Amino acid sequence: MSAIKGKNNLIGASIPRIDSPAKVTGKALYAGDIILPGMLHGKILKSTKAHAKILNIDISRALALPGVKDVIVGKDTPCIKFGNWRLFPNTQDELPLAVDKVRYIGDEIAAVAAIDPDIAEEALSLIKVEYEELPAVFSIEDALAAGAPLIHDENKELKSNISLDRKIDVGDIESAFKTADYIREDTFVVHPHSHAYMEPCATLAETDSEGRVTIYTSTQTPYIVQCLLASTLGIPENHVRVMKPAVGGGFGGKMELRKWEFCAAFMSRRTGRPVRFVLSRQEELESGRRRHGMNLKSKVGFKKDGTLVAKDFEAYLNGGAYNSMGPTATFLCGNFGAMLYRYPIYHYRGYHVYTNLPPAGAMRGFGAPQAMFISESQMNMAAIDLGIDAIDLRIKNAMVTGDKIEGVTTISSAGFVESLEKVASETKWKEKKKNLPKNKGIGIGCYSFISGGVFNWFNTQYNFSACEVRAYDDGTAHLLTMSCDIGQGSDTVLRQILAADLGLAVNMIRLTAGDTAMTPKGDLGTWGSRVTLMNGNAILDASKKIKEQLAKMVSIKFNLNVIHDVAFGDGKVFAKANPKYGMTFGEAVTLWVKANRGEELIARGVYTPRDKGLTTPAYSFGAQVAEVDVDPDTGVVTVEKITTAHDCGTVINPLGVEGQLEGAIQMGIGYTLSEQFAMKNGKTLNTTFLDYKVPSAEDMPQIVSYKVDTYEKEGPFGAKEAGEGLAIPTAPAISDAVFQATGYRCKDLPITPEKILRSKGKI
Amino acid sequence: MSIPKFTYLAPKTLKEALIMRASHGSKSSIMAGGTDLLIKMGLRTLQPEFVIGLNSVPEIDYITLRPGGELAIGPMAKLSAVVEDAEVEKNFPALSEAASVTATVQIRNMGTLIGNICNASPSADNATPLMIYDTKVVIIRSDGERVVPIEEFFKGPGKSVLETGELVKEFLIPIPEKSTGSNYQKVSTRSKVDIAGICVSALLTLNNDGTVSKARIALGAVAPKPIRVVKAEKILTGKTPTKELFNDAAKIAREEASPISDMRASAEYRKAMVEVLTRRALDASLAAATKKKN
Repeated sequence: MSAIKGKNNLIGASIPRIDSPAKVTGKALYAGDIILPGMLHGKILKSTKAHAKILNIDISRALALPGVKDVIVGKDTPCIKFGNWRLFPNTQDELPLAVDKVRYIGDEIAAVAAIDPDIAEEALSLIKVEYEELPAVFSIEDALAAGAPLIHDENKELKSNISLDRKIDVGDIESAFKTADYIREDTFVVHPHSHAYMEPCATLAETDSEGRVTIYTSTQTPYIVQCLLASTLGIPENHVRVMKPAVGGGFGGKMELRKWEFCAAFMSRRTGRPVRFVLSRQEELESGRRRHGMNLKSKVGFKKDGTLVAKDFEAYLNGGAYNSMGPTATFLCGNFGAMLYRYPIYHYRGYHVYTNLPPAGAMRGFGAPQAMFISESQMNMAAIDLGIDAIDLRIKNAMVTGDKIEGVTTISSAGFVESLEKVASETKWKEKKKNLPKNKGIGIGCYSFISGGVFNWFNTQYNFSACEVRAYDDGTAHLLTMSCDIGQGSDTVLRQILAADLGLAVNMIRLTAGDTAMTPKGDLGTWGSRVTLMNGNAILDASKKIKEQLAKMVSIKFNLNVIHDVAFGDGKVFAKANPKYGMTFGEAVTLWVKANRGEELIARGVYTPRDKGLTTPAYSFGAQVAEVDVDPDTGVVTVEKITTAHDCGTVINPLGVEGQLEGAIQMGIGYTLSEQFAMKNGKTLNTTFLDYKVPSAEDMPQIVSYKVDTYEKEGPFGAKEAGEGLAIPTAPAISDAVFQATGYRCKDLPITPEKILRSKGKI
Repeated sequence: MSIPKFTYLAPKTLKEALIMRASHGSKSSIMAGGTDLLIKMGLRTLQPEFVIGLNSVPEIDYITLRPGGELAIGPMAKLSAVVEDAEVEKNFPALSEAASVTATVQIRNMGTLIGNICNASPSADNATPLMIYDTKVVIIRSDGERVVPIEEFFKGPGKSVLETGELVKEFLIPIPEKSTGSNYQKVSTRSKVDIAGICVSALLTLNNDGTVSKARIALGAVAPKPIRVVKAEKILTGKTPTKELFNDAAKIAREEASPISDMRASAEYRKAMVEVLTRRALDASLAAATKKKN
């Protein structure tokens, strides 16, 4: 199994990120850096009401302002609804600009394009909107109460503010609980969380003389943007070219068509001039997408010896005013509720609820951080009640390679037990837990995550992942892919995979990524931790085709016996058993081109998971131990050390995985301890990083990590995901450690000093 | 939004700055480091037509010991200079600590101590240390000078006694007596790089017999302006420090605080923290004072 590990010394090599020199020297171009001749600056007018009818919009004064070149309102657009769930058109509930009604503070109403950003801003202040306010609901409880206003009353199929539900029924839950010796039922509340990506969204659109649009946009999913932009503009997809420049983080927040992308394209078509929108941090925090807040209820039964019997899980997602990626989060929350342990019987009810809050969307973990915060907390609570160590209880029930959730998924590789054993031994878990000094705590949280999804909600007709490889006579290759590096490092890892397989140096691979007019159609982009596995497989598919052609050239040239295998390494193509029968990669390409009378050597590679269940082709696993100190008087929690052991299959680039892990811990600490939206009547109050408190470098604990050795046969060179899953365990691990230190068990994230002190009666 | 157009004036002396200020009045703003002013201009909460930059005035970037035992700090002295200054660290450790946790490295390298105070934020890190050290604010105007004790300098959030035709010329801080200890305490959500949720400074000077000859307690971010807790200072003075005495003082501080509930913390939490931090600041001050005395 480890035979191909380390292939050409590139698989498992800590190659520094190829994009980092440009980024750290400020040379990388983000969408907001690009300037085109005659470019206009766009700004969007947003609703100041949480729920209101639009009676009238007067744009006359804005239009009359010198320097303003265009002002649009909803009625000027083709009024075509959009949403990522094309498979169920009824879930597509957003218009490019609001027409009759606004549904949250921040709902986009009008857009202005002017010769400079300040004029555009001034023009916004000249637009007069007359509203008729409607009653608004912000909590799940209020949205579901009798007589609550229907936020999407235009959708006659909806009888309440539940926009979508999801059921999973594996086995007979009632009789299962009768066989349990110990049952616990808990209610948890988890809060929304901002992506807080470094680069606020930006888009620049230009239109050619034939009306074709090119947009440079900060996105994770150029293909999705291309399709939805074309449909909302009412033009063919091929008339829209989406280009992804450097992107400063996405975390799920940039995987939909967004209003400014539409407005930039639409106004550039109207004015004939390029139009650029650059959002401010304030706009991002005020009304940007966020992780779903949820109300969760979970009932779980065990035998006396700790064996799991059944789980009944219910999730209400506060979706905000539109579906966004909420339906996927509703599905995945249910799928992740069934993960990590062998629940013989499992029921799930998930409800996506509209409220008059900014819409929640996809965010790193996509339903899993919430589902696993409650399930991991319950494991820790159950362990205490059952008198079994929390790690032993997990090992007893842990999923292992070959486990199945009937009709849903098969676990093709799992290093979960090994991860648990590793963190237990490395942290001296049992001794430490027994001898905790005052105010110190140690706790555990675990995770599993998907390596890309199977469920085709976007209803793409094309392969899930695709690439093109071109081989050249100068010994180089060109990789074209729609998989996007948004900071996670795929530009490096994908080149590494191709270089390893073709036996070339990484710098001999040119990469073109995220340009819908150049790269093969259909790759769904970067989300769901799908890129390494899915695009990696597509690359190996293409690479194999190139290699077959070049092997023929060596075989012919040296009259190789048919039993010889041909190898690729050090920029050469040669008979494996006798390297002197070989030539350089470039020479082999030259021969092929001559043999094919001048044709270019190009191969397409694709990957679509088929017959891999309903969820994903491969799961990652891991366990994390947090050690904390809690100040007993101020309630301030200091995370001192985080130890992780995880299974992501073969590691392609250890440095990249380390970066993902550290970023995930930073995000996890913020989610658990400091980040929280302060909301009042639907309005976000903390719209700067002064008050939306993302942990700084100085808040980071000591980080130790161990990689558990597994090989995933579905992944390229045995690899699986290492992106999102790592964001899951930190919250339950810290929460458990805080409990060990203080006796306060958090069932209502985030953990704040105030909540800890209140639980102790100190305030 | 970009900063609106303005005219930048570069006076060569403080006097010249005052003349410019007098002629442009409320249409002008004084700029030292600019770390507060430029943000306000960007947000357009302040839209001066003229910015009078002190950067071009020579010899006002100083932290120096004056004969007679006062530390003088000039209007262009950066926060980072306060952090690095050995005299400040030796004689005014609470100020040294507060300056070191003000905002971020980048802001400390540009922002000035006097600017931080003139901004008059109730949560300014450096206000309470300056209060416990009995800092005098020297204010100049075209026709003279006046000296204001720092606790009288603040009027409310963003408001000070400074009038339009006036500038802060310098801070004068008397060097404390030998057997003095002082300390700064702060609680905020993030461990570092954060605005103070609550901050407390304390100072104790001990007599030879170990009794308290002088006590100072100042609170930040728990009232419309930084406040001194004179009532608590009084009960400490003349007494031998004990745990109970400090507890009593801390309780008084808690009562004197009048915080609001906002998105950063609830009033109850802030009040509770005033007590905790006051106790801690007094404990640390006593330890330092005792060490110096012996």
